[in-house]
Amino acid sequence: MLKMTHLSKVYRTEVVETYALRDFNIDVKEGEFVAVTGPSGSGKTTFLTIAGLLETFTGGEYLLDGVDVSGLNDNARSKIRNEKIGFIFQAFNLIPDLNVFDNVEVPLRYRGMKAAERKQRIMDALERVGLASRLKHYPAELSGGQQQRVAIARALAGSPRLLLADEPTGNLDTQMARGVMELLEDIHREGATIVMVTHDPELAARAQRNVHIIDGQEVDIAEDPRFHAEHAASSHV
Amino acid sequence: MQIKPILSALRHHKAGTILIAVQIALTLAIVCNALFIIQQRITMLTRSTGIDEAHLIRLQNQWVGVDDKHVGSLMQTDLDTLRRLPGVADAYATNSTPLSNGGWSTGIGLKPGGKGERVQTAIYFADDHTLDTLGLKLVAGRNFRSSEVVDQMQHDGLDPPQVIVTRAVADKFFPDGDAVGKRVYLGNKPSIIVGVVARLQVPWVGGWAANWEGRSTLVPRRLMASGTNFVIRAKDGQIDKVLHSAPAALLASDRMRVIPDDDGVVTFAQMRQEAYQSDRGMAILMGVICVVLLGITAAGIVGLTSFWVGQRRKQIGVRRALGATRRDILSYFLTENLLIGATGVVLGMLLAVGMNQWLMNTFEMQRLSWPWIVSGVIVLLALGQAAVLAPAIRASRVPPVVATRTV
Ligand SMILES: Nc1ncnc2c1ncn2[C@@H]1O[C@H](COP(=O)(O)OP(=O)(O)O)[C@@H](O)[C@H]1O
Ligand SMILES: [Mg+2]
Repeated sequence: MLKMTHLSKVYRTEVVETYALRDFNIDVKEGEFVAVTGPSGSGKTTFLTIAGLLETFTGGEYLLDGVDVSGLNDNARSKIRNEKIGFIFQAFNLIPDLNVFDNVEVPLRYRGMKAAERKQRIMDALERVGLASRLKHYPAELSGGQQQRVAIARALAGSPRLLLADEPTGNLDTQMARGVMELLEDIHREGATIVMVTHDPELAARAQRNVHIIDGQEVDIAEDPRFHAEHAASSHV
Repeated sequence: MQIKPILSALRHHKAGTILIAVQIALTLAIVCNALFIIQQRITMLTRSTGIDEAHLIRLQNQWVGVDDKHVGSLMQTDLDTLRRLPGVADAYATNSTPLSNGGWSTGIGLKPGGKGERVQTAIYFADDHTLDTLGLKLVAGRNFRSSEVVDQMQHDGLDPPQVIVTRAVADKFFPDGDAVGKRVYLGNKPSIIVGVVARLQVPWVGGWAANWEGRSTLVPRRLMASGTNFVIRAKDGQIDKVLHSAPAALLASDRMRVIPDDDGVVTFAQMRQEAYQSDRGMAILMGVICVVLLGITAAGIVGLTSFWVGQRRKQIGVRRALGATRRDILSYFLTENLLIGATGVVLGMLLAVGMNQWLMNTFEMQRLSWPWIVSGVIVLLALGQAAVLAPAIRASRVPPVVATRTV
């Protein structure tokens, strides 16, 4: 489903070059639920933005659903984001000017879907996250947990093959976080491939597989001696 | 395609939306009316007087120390002097000319003593040289004969046995085109129309004569007054020379006269320039107002859209992440502007008509026609789209990665 080999990402500013990812390898199979963990600044978000075609990478190879994405133009990338990928962000990222229904509709409109089908999908998705009664509410009128559920409905409505979540519970209290996590687990059981970035070990433990990133490289937690040192260092970042 | 969500989103930005819509409405109303006024002024400015202005000079002369009764012989001597002058094609004396903004007018009708239907007409004193001097086009009848030209004291009633009228006067009373030989009345005695000229504008260029600016009547009379206007026709290419030689020749023949230094001898080109100075000024002012208003409106749209793009940077990134193409983002802002613009122009059309109604009631203004309003609408909508383009392009360049980065 998602395969990166020797991938690197360099951020260049006038003064420094930052290797956000270097020689990064990952292979997520169809239907897997993978948690990506690592200290702050280790490159988790960078990995996710590249995986979700929000950003290009500097070197290496990335196959999404078997397709080499490096040669795709902006329109083709937009189309893949729209049809194959569902995003869930830490800050929910609902559009404040639109109500719940209109928010979930956004990706469907960009797909050029007919109104009747859009409506059906929106209702199904909101039903799925338990917010079908809040259609006319605006994001500001919802709790954080509810907002994240709307965001999940928005990600689900287009029936993506791949769900990418960047610290989806990072802005939620424990109870709401648990609810969102259970929802993701349900969605996974129904067949979706999920890649979730988190620094909460408890949540990570509930995924099928963990990938740990340190300094832009995936490491085997058991084997890599750097892990303990880095982890200690990350606490004061 | 995305009209409904754009409208819903705009409801959360009421202040800016209303501000721009109202600005567009006001601009449309003012620009429509201003352009209409400009067009009317230009029509006025470019109206023909019916005379051959390019060859004509007006010389204002005041004889000194002479009784009005004895002006006749002086006038004849001066006319002889002028007509003999090299470079002069012809000349005559009159009370007034087109573009002078001062002259005589009276009622003219088919019944004596001011009864029956009458219309206002300008009165030009003329002789048998007038048609040739002015270059008037006789479309029916004949010129005055020299024997018909007689002296007229200023305060005597004006009842010439013959008149030449413009087609505008003739058509008013004789729409069948058979005016020649018919009687009309300026006063109590009948005047026979002996000739009809195609066009001769009244002396007044604006305001009160606007509705009858083509109704002029030539009378075969020499005005016995110490002040007179000589109209001199120069031969091709001689006008500059005659401008100097004519007053010099008159002064040489008799020094007992005053020819004002500043505007005593002027070409009709100069007279036209002066007569329409305020109209030209008005047209330019209106034009400047239009440009300034359109500029301000465009700047307002650029400003507000830029502000909105900055404010919505995050959601633009989110939309991009959710699959919007650059075109989708571009078209979002263009459509949004079009919706605001559409509201503005609908409001503006009503305002434009209202403003025009007020101008019609308050000033002499004609009814604004639909083509003007439609053109204004097109101009403003196009201006809006043009103004929004740069910020919209900037919006379309917001990268999708903005969705994941918190700043
Ligand atoms: N746009 C950027 N320009 C420069 N450096 C960046 C940019 N985005 C991220 N980085 C750097 O890349 C590294 C990885 O960042 P990120 O992927 O956000 O880490 P994480 O999500 O694991 O906290 C960090 O050192 C960060 O400062
Ligand atoms: Mg991060």
